Amino acid sequence: MKIILLRTKSAYRLLLMALVWGLSIATTFAQTYPIKGEVQDTEGEPLIGASVVVKNAAIGALTDELGRFSLNMPAQTGTLVITYFGYKPLEIAATANQEIRVVMEIAPTEIEEQVIVGYGTQRKSDLTGAISSVKAKDIARIPSPSVGTVLQGKLSGVQVIPSSGEPGAQAVIRIRGVGTLNDASPLFVVDGMLLNDISFLNTNDIASIEALKDASATAIYGSRGANGVIIITTKKGVSGKPAFSFNAYYGMQQVTRQIALTNGSEYAMLANESATNTGIKQPFPNPDTFGIGTNWQDQIFRNAPIQNYQLSASGGSDKMTYLISGDYINQSGIIKTSEYQRVSLRINNEYKMNKFITVGHNLSIVYNDGNNAPGVLGNAYRADPTVVPIDSSGKYGNTTNNAPIGNPVAQFDYNANNPRYNYRTVGNLYLDFKFLKNFNFHTSYGLDYSNGVQKTFVPVYFVSSIQQNQVSRLDVGFDRSRNWLWENTLSYNLEKGKSRLNLLGGITSQNYYGESIGGGRINYPSTDPTFYYLNAGQIEGQTNYNSASWWSMASYLFRANYTFDNRFLFTVSGRADGSSKFGKNNRYGYFPSVAAGWNVSNEKFMSGIKAISRLKIRGSWGIIGNEKIGGNQQYALVSPNLSAVFGANEVLQNGSSTIAPGNPNLQWESTSQSNAGFEIGLFNNRLQGEVDWYRRVTNDILTTVPIPGYVGSASDPTVNAASVLNTGVDFKVTWQDARPFNYHVSILGSTVRNEVLSLGQGKEEILAGGLGVGGLLGTRTVVGSPIGSYYGYKVAGIYQNQEDLANFPKRGNEVPGDLRFEDINGDGVITALDRTDLGSPTPNLIFGANFGLEIKGFDLEVDFNGQRGNYIANAKKMARFGTPNYEVSYLNRWTGEGTSNSEPRITDGGGNYDFSTRFLEKGDFLRLRNVSLGYTLPSNWTDVLNMGSLRIFVTGTNLVTWTQYSGYTPEILGGVLDGGIDFGIYPIARVYNIGVNANF
Amino acid sequence: MKFQSIFNALNWKVTLAVLATFLGGCSASFLDKPPLGLETSASFFKTEEQAFQATNAVYNILREWSVSVFSYIGITDIVSDDSDKGSTPTDANFLLEVDDLTFDAGNVSFSTVWDGYYQGINRANLVIENVPLIDMNVANRNRLVAEAKFLRAYFYFNLVRWFGDIPLVDRPLQSDEYYSKQRSSANEIYAFIEQDLKDAAAVLPVQYGSADIGRATKGAAQGMLAKMYMTRGRWSEAALYADSVIKSGKYALYPNYAKLFTREGENSSESLFEIQTAAYTTEGGGSQYNEVQGVRGEPNLGWGFNRPSDNLVSSYEAGDPRRDATILYVGETLPDGSGVVLDNPQIFNERYNQKAWVPQVVGISNGNGQGNIRVLRYAEILLIYAEAQNELGQPQLALDAVNLVRKRARGNIPNLLRDLTVTDQTLLRERIWRERRSELALEQGRWFDLIRQGRAASVMQALGKNFVVGKHELFPIPQNEVDIAVITQNPGY
Repeated sequence: MKIILLRTKSAYRLLLMALVWGLSIATTFAQTYPIKGEVQDTEGEPLIGASVVVKNAAIGALTDELGRFSLNMPAQTGTLVITYFGYKPLEIAATANQEIRVVMEIAPTEIEEQVIVGYGTQRKSDLTGAISSVKAKDIARIPSPSVGTVLQGKLSGVQVIPSSGEPGAQAVIRIRGVGTLNDASPLFVVDGMLLNDISFLNTNDIASIEALKDASATAIYGSRGANGVIIITTKKGVSGKPAFSFNAYYGMQQVTRQIALTNGSEYAMLANESATNTGIKQPFPNPDTFGIGTNWQDQIFRNAPIQNYQLSASGGSDKMTYLISGDYINQSGIIKTSEYQRVSLRINNEYKMNKFITVGHNLSIVYNDGNNAPGVLGNAYRADPTVVPIDSSGKYGNTTNNAPIGNPVAQFDYNANNPRYNYRTVGNLYLDFKFLKNFNFHTSYGLDYSNGVQKTFVPVYFVSSIQQNQVSRLDVGFDRSRNWLWENTLSYNLEKGKSRLNLLGGITSQNYYGESIGGGRINYPSTDPTFYYLNAGQIEGQTNYNSASWWSMASYLFRANYTFDNRFLFTVSGRADGSSKFGKNNRYGYFPSVAAGWNVSNEKFMSGIKAISRLKIRGSWGIIGNEKIGGNQQYALVSPNLSAVFGANEVLQNGSSTIAPGNPNLQWESTSQSNAGFEIGLFNNRLQGEVDWYRRVTNDILTTVPIPGYVGSASDPTVNAASVLNTGVDFKVTWQDARPFNYHVSILGSTVRNEVLSLGQGKEEILAGGLGVGGLLGTRTVVGSPIGSYYGYKVAGIYQNQEDLANFPKRGNEVPGDLRFEDINGDGVITALDRTDLGSPTPNLIFGANFGLEIKGFDLEVDFNGQRGNYIANAKKMARFGTPNYEVSYLNRWTGEGTSNSEPRITDGGGNYDFSTRFLEKGDFLRLRNVSLGYTLPSNWTDVLNMGSLRIFVTGTNLVTWTQYSGYTPEILGGVLDGGIDFGIYPIARVYNIGVNANF
Repeated sequence: MKFQSIFNALNWKVTLAVLATFLGGCSASFLDKPPLGLETSASFFKTEEQAFQATNAVYNILREWSVSVFSYIGITDIVSDDSDKGSTPTDANFLLEVDDLTFDAGNVSFSTVWDGYYQGINRANLVIENVPLIDMNVANRNRLVAEAKFLRAYFYFNLVRWFGDIPLVDRPLQSDEYYSKQRSSANEIYAFIEQDLKDAAAVLPVQYGSADIGRATKGAAQGMLAKMYMTRGRWSEAALYADSVIKSGKYALYPNYAKLFTREGENSSESLFEIQTAAYTTEGGGSQYNEVQGVRGEPNLGWGFNRPSDNLVSSYEAGDPRRDATILYVGETLPDGSGVVLDNPQIFNERYNQKAWVPQVVGISNGNGQGNIRVLRYAEILLIYAEAQNELGQPQLALDAVNLVRKRARGNIPNLLRDLTVTDQTLLRERIWRERRSELALEQGRWFDLIRQGRAASVMQALGKNFVVGKHELFPIPQNEVDIAVITQNPGY
């Protein structure tokens, strides 16, 4: 009998200990070498289901109820790899016929997981704030060019809305609902750089993403924290020999669905019926002759490839670490002519000058170019299906006979020449100076520099009098911006006895400047792209512009963290922000927060409760701000170019005036947020849960508010308009285990209840959300209801006959077959006063579910996400300027008594098109967001190839969406006062990828 | 110890102090970021040049889509018996609702003009409020204010005739006044228009130098006053101001009625006020007034709205040349001889408003239309004068005036459009009304005439339109305005 004691000591004072029992027994078979043993924890308790595998051989076993195992090794001696979830994995040399005893230590990462917080890192166990975190491995399985979209369904309290399927488009992220009437996007902090646009990032470079949700976490970002903060940390090298990784995928994208529209004959029939109902001549003498006609959606969509290649090298010594990474992505859009490609280079190095000073940089250089599709989506939805795209003589079909809707196929030829390219550098250089044992001074200078060009060329063409261009024209615009951020922080760390204190103070300043210049000329000799330069056009009639904007911020920040005995946690923080966007009187804002936490599981009385491995209760309160408004809102600007023609020679005389108001009294929007939550880990942290309740009140909300037409203003002013309450719960529950194999299941979600508490300026309601041809307002923001609730008529049915018209309240012009609205105020007639709240565009539950497993080299990951409780206004259906194509729902129209009680007789305007529940659809959905299946080659294979690891995978993204919504996607982005209105967005794509991850 | 030396070299206290001084020292100016390349109100309305610019900005809106184009034509001509919607049957349905009197308050026509005209009023108010405070040439100062008052009166005159009681905004509103207005009575609005026009007439020059043709003149203000009094049935004042225009000797009927509406007839001797447009290659001087009414199809000129109605076609006296000058038929040669209107099978009963026709300028888009929009011309002054004198019991004075119009119309074709001789007040009134229709057809005045003459119901009902008495005399206040401003709606909507 032999006892082997292994002991190592790391810099983090961690002990790794293993005991191996060995017992020599006689071999019974010549070819096999049996070994058995048991696995225990440090307290002698057996570990059930631990995995014991012979290294470099596909032989292994699991421990039984007594923690015992037995297996046959392929050779006399070998190495056993023992893993158990939540414990430090062990490798033990073993000789056949022994009996060994293994003692496993709880894995140190579970004890001291570090979480990135604003201006620093913190032990997860010390956190008092609500922070959702996701690591590289959790997002690497969804190949996507957009960082935002990979977060969908991964972080509780974070809603990700793909703004469109346009290649290169970024997703819109909302944390804990909409707390503002203004831009509700969170602040992005990439390696310390404060940004609004993260399109330069590639997913493979990301080490971790944290979403800061409550005031304790975000108040350190003061005026920019109100919508939450997303901190993104890119990868760094680690000391050791160079590690290379290569990641690639190739995929095919396709539109997830088409909108069901009427075909040629159906359209012609409906158009005729509409003409008859309106009392005009029928446009189509023989509707049946058109047959299926043209499916314009087929004409604009395509299967589009996407490919991505990334190569990185990292490593370092105790003097320096390095990471360089190059990435190339090429994505075609699912709408023809939309293209995007991006080349990026990243260099993240860190140099230790000496014991005290560390210098480093994160540097990213990105080039991208692309071409946008012309506005064909709306036209494909509306274009006359009886018209051929191109007729036999090669001419484009004229789709403008019954509605001013251009031929989408012609648009690809004439309106798709809009190349753009952009260079962007985002990076920072930093220095850390540790001194007097407890102090660290950190200074970082970050720069975001961007330089772009876009061109639009329109040739001379004629499709119809509505779709034509008589003069070729090229417009060219150059724009350039730079945004620097200088941050200086001083931190002090003290550990004394049971106390741990961390103090942080800092001064930061930020400055943005952007300028654009451009011009246009007409009459080009050629349509070839080699002529897309202004010099090729005619000088006479040339136009130009040059404009610029700038803003700056100066901030002072402070935070104190105090932890006592790993049990009691306190955080106090504050920030003062000065912004150039506000007038002198309201320039500075102050944003404090306090928070406390209690690690209940570290209490003595908990030590007896084995099942609970971790339990923390925490609460916070703070004030955070929002200053996301344009730079010049405080000023009444003079609008130029209001010139008038006078004189015998028709000379343009310069005109300008102050036609848009300013608001010098603008002030900070502030949000006070309370948060209470707990984190729990059960059964050795196999079951983990995190629940946060929050209550956010946003005051002095900055927004543009519609003002009466009689004011005569050219635009709506920005005002501090209202107070809004958001309250809800974020939760995440995860079960993960290594038995019988590694797997995990997570369910996460957040609820949001949104209520307007008050409106500024003595207003009782704010109507917004222009819908339909007339721009009728379809949302109402009123105290006591969710922001931007739909506002219109409730359909009660259809007037079936004259009797109905006589018996039910009506407006006056109705005839049988028209919609019958509910008489909400009961006055016996239908008027505008009978409009009422119809529902909210904001979902009240957003959820995600992830499932993953690893078995014998295979890994499978399945993600779902969804939402419920919201409605979508199908505005594209409502806007009928003329007689464009119909959705198939029109085929169920009323054609006589009893034929329908929901779909009215067919018309192309009039009272049936006033905003009502007719145009409102449920936005609930559940989406199979991602399925990925990978296979990691056995290491003895990859060893032969001299590789660290090689994984091949296939994925499918946006595979199935279960929803009742009739449009392309139920995820509709919009403004805050006018959200959820579907005018026809670029649909998201279903993507199939095949790819490889290789490490050397 | 090594640490000490570094500490001394980089004394953190000093570093921080320097830093704080830097940030603190420059923070005042660091946070001052005035707009770049943009004037603010703080520096505007200070110079004479700016006074002109602000006044030009009022003229600028006259040729805009919202003030003089699509919806405007819809709720002046298309709504009347003079014309139908035009274009293909199903294009722009909201104008069909206007044509058929089936619109409601959500119809985009009303919100378009409401917003456009009030923006014009705001631009005029900015001039009237601020220009008097500018240290500048006094004559110019007074003139610019008078021009703005004329334009403000024009905006209000159309609004009050469409909507009746409307908010009276007589100066730029401050942010705390945005929601403060209720509707003032039409009487108050008319009194306000009257005062503006009188103020303008007292100051405006009789004519301008060549470079400023197109600005409001004394004659324009007096003519507009006459038209306003006619609308109100204040006949002696209508006659008085029409007479002032006639007596001024500055105006004369243009000899050729058909050519009056071509480019050649712009700013003619007959013009009291017309909205100036020009087709520049740079754009910025045109209007879509011509394009929306232009021939749809071949030749390629426009969208084909505002089709002259059958009723208008049959309303002319036999052989009246004004019918051909007003209506462009399929098969007809264009006024400049550049082509023939080809049949467009998509358009039912195809014909066009020839008064809005302008030749295509090669290399310039049709949306950049170059035709001046005739607002007030001498022939109408004569007809106002005639109508007023007839109402005042002076048939001979009326006949003299109306026969001048007929004489010009007949040109040198004898036995056409003989001089009127009827002196019975009722019969003569009807003849003058008919003369107005023939002379002024498709110049966006017909609906106003029908309403003021109190016969819109009978005329429209005779055409099978569902004109509801007590409702359709006024258009609905746009629903969005009722919602946002919380003001009352007109009866019946």
